[in-house]
Amino acid sequence: MIGQVLGHYRVTAKIGEGGMGVVYRAFDEVLHRDVALKVVKKDAGTDPLPNQNLLQEARSSSSLSHPNICTIYEVAETEGELYIVMELVEGKTLRAMTGTVGLPPESVLRYGTQIAAALARAHDKGIVHRDLKSANIVVNSSGLVKVLDFGLAKRAGGAILEGPTQSFVSTQDVSTISGTLHYMAPEVLRGEPADNRSDLWALGIVLYEAAAGQLPFAGRTGFELSSSIMREIPKPLGPPVPPGLWAVIQRCLSKEPAERYQRASEIQAALEAVQWGAVVSANPGADQGGVRTMVLHGVKHARVKRGDFLLLVGTIKGAFILRSTTQRSRWEVGGPYFHGHNVYAMAYDCRAGRRRIWASTQNYWGTLLRFSDDFGKSWTNPQESPIRFPSDAGVSLKNIWQITLGRPEEPEVLYCGVEPAALFESRDAGETWSLVRGLFDHPHRPRWMPGNGGLALHTIVLDPSDNQRMYVAISAGGVYRTNDGGQTWTAQNRGIRAMFLPNKNPEFGQCIHKIAIHPAHPERLFLQNHWGLYRSDDYGENWKDIANGVPSDFGFAITVHPRNPEWVYIIPVESDEFRCSCDGRLRVYRTRNGGTSWEPLSRGLPQKLAYETVLRDAMTMDSFNPAGIYFGTRSGQLFGSRDEGRTWQKILEGLPSIACVRTACVVDASSDTAATPPTQAPPMDSSRGKSRTSRSKSRQTTKRR
Amino acid sequence: MPVTFHIPGALREFTDGRRTVQLENSPKLVADALSALYALHPGVRDRVITEQGQVRDHINVFVGEENIRYTGGLATPVPPNSEISIVPAVSGG
Repeated sequence: MIGQVLGHYRVTAKIGEGGMGVVYRAFDEVLHRDVALKVVKKDAGTDPLPNQNLLQEARSSSSLSHPNICTIYEVAETEGELYIVMELVEGKTLRAMTGTVGLPPESVLRYGTQIAAALARAHDKGIVHRDLKSANIVVNSSGLVKVLDFGLAKRAGGAILEGPTQSFVSTQDVSTISGTLHYMAPEVLRGEPADNRSDLWALGIVLYEAAAGQLPFAGRTGFELSSSIMREIPKPLGPPVPPGLWAVIQRCLSKEPAERYQRASEIQAALEAVQWGAVVSANPGADQGGVRTMVLHGVKHARVKRGDFLLLVGTIKGAFILRSTTQRSRWEVGGPYFHGHNVYAMAYDCRAGRRRIWASTQNYWGTLLRFSDDFGKSWTNPQESPIRFPSDAGVSLKNIWQITLGRPEEPEVLYCGVEPAALFESRDAGETWSLVRGLFDHPHRPRWMPGNGGLALHTIVLDPSDNQRMYVAISAGGVYRTNDGGQTWTAQNRGIRAMFLPNKNPEFGQCIHKIAIHPAHPERLFLQNHWGLYRSDDYGENWKDIANGVPSDFGFAITVHPRNPEWVYIIPVESDEFRCSCDGRLRVYRTRNGGTSWEPLSRGLPQKLAYETVLRDAMTMDSFNPAGIYFGTRSGQLFGSRDEGRTWQKILEGLPSIACVRTACVVDASSDTAATPPTQAPPMDSSRGKSRTSRSKSRQTTKRR
Repeated sequence: MPVTFHIPGALREFTDGRRTVQLENSPKLVADALSALYALHPGVRDRVITEQGQVRDHINVFVGEENIRYTGGLATPVPPNSEISIVPAVSGG
């Protein structure tokens, strides 16, 4: 091979040999620079597996750009030789530098932070290294670290063929085990899939090895070594290894992934802190990790009992929980929770026996998704925001506009719609969240424009009949639909006007305010637009105007009756400029024929000098029979009707501006069925005398969950 | 030489109630000092900076009496014995 030319690369020397290929030094005769060429071994050419692994290595690594990651320039094939062209990294491997006595702690910290930074970038891209070891880490003469060989890297969540490495021969199935045994995490040895935290384990091994000059786990056979990794505690490292570094290593080497650092960036920060002389706790429970719980004192809590009915009210100054019986006539108020925070989204999750209230909170300290399992007495206060954009997204979370539960048959699934416009998904009941890339990477996204409230994905509608189909609405981006569970999305705005654009009927860019669906007619959607009221009867393919006889087709909220799919409720406002109820009369409009005609519902609502605005998530219905309907205004008034809108009562006034209203039926945790609804109910009134919520100063303490 | 952080009330639940946090060694830059603070008290991090590593819009960090927005941002040097304050900006409605 030496002296041969592959493409425009002249091979000049053999550098080394890895599991999948031979690595050569070569000269790029076009760009006049030295490069490294990784070529598949000839004797492996009959086996398709190395080729696939090599290509996978290239694809994975080429998406990574980071000073501590070896750059992939090109993948090419010439005369049957498949090769990867990559940055020529000159230096020594960390393995070679370490020797048998270990490196000075300052060097371990300096290199460790760089390795952690490289992993952080890869993990943000969804790439798990899976074969991190000291032989895969090169340090150049300037002390710059390069992490090599993403040859076993696997895109997290992807279904990509995994291959074996020659550095480890196992009797186990090669499709489930890969990576070098000394660095392999206990969960991987147990046959569980490797994730980011398996890399963090390997980093712990690398740090231990660099600091001590020997590996933490040993064995004469693979079986003994595996047993040691899974059961034994590594020999403690004393001086000259600083206690802080030892603490970081210990936490990386926690047998359970949940007890390790959860992100490489945390390790990077911890190692930097040790460099600066800070003390790092070895005990994850002491000060790091875990979810804190904020217990609120001095706040009136609603005394929620089984069978109660709740209204969850999010305002721009905090959240309130209103409790009633199924009669829904008298209300006890709990709150305010999260003083001074915007609470744009709330939800109640009673799936799988839970009784969990979700709330998003936003103020100048950032945006958090929190929950309470005791009806507001305590709330999670996570140290790290569970919803966060990866670093390569280039944007930061501003607000969470929507919390949507997955379908009943997917009790661990949750979605959040956020600002800037993006969709996040959790498949573990909200423990961890991931950005839905199919939508975020949509080519339309750079051309979405913020509406008055910001560029928000505020509506998430799941098709109840097809678990692969869902819709989102973006202001101002339009309606997008996926038919493949979120992998790909299409704009579905045919017939919806965009009055604020030169082209009034664009493919996308509409300012959608809300979409609603009825389970009995999954093909049918109702839509309140920024000017325009629409219905689609074909899964959003086409929309037709249904503003037949409403005083204005501008509005925000729209909701469908829980049982009758022809019944839809809206609250029109006068105009884009004014955004208040028409003529100072607060009226809900209802159609009972799918939008062919609309009727005003005003009995009990103020009809003079009532210039009110009801925001997109501030109207909702319950599932009783007859159904209740509730809405809150920007002026802090909360109204309700227990007879499907025929008559209305004021439930509460004096609240901060209301952003969202949600309902919840508190059923037995062992049952998923709603409490038996009443068929008739006495008049509604409010009961707030005992609450003193707005006057009582709240105090909070924290405890560990 | 030690550097002292002054912690606002809203963040003290993440510093075990401490009003001040002292770093034993003197970091060179504000970014280094903040990294050391996050390592000690991880909950502070997401409240002070965004996931893109920028100080939040309505949060100010002062080295002494100087707002780092006007002195080089996170690359602002930290002299020995500095006092660093994290303060929410005057804003709201």
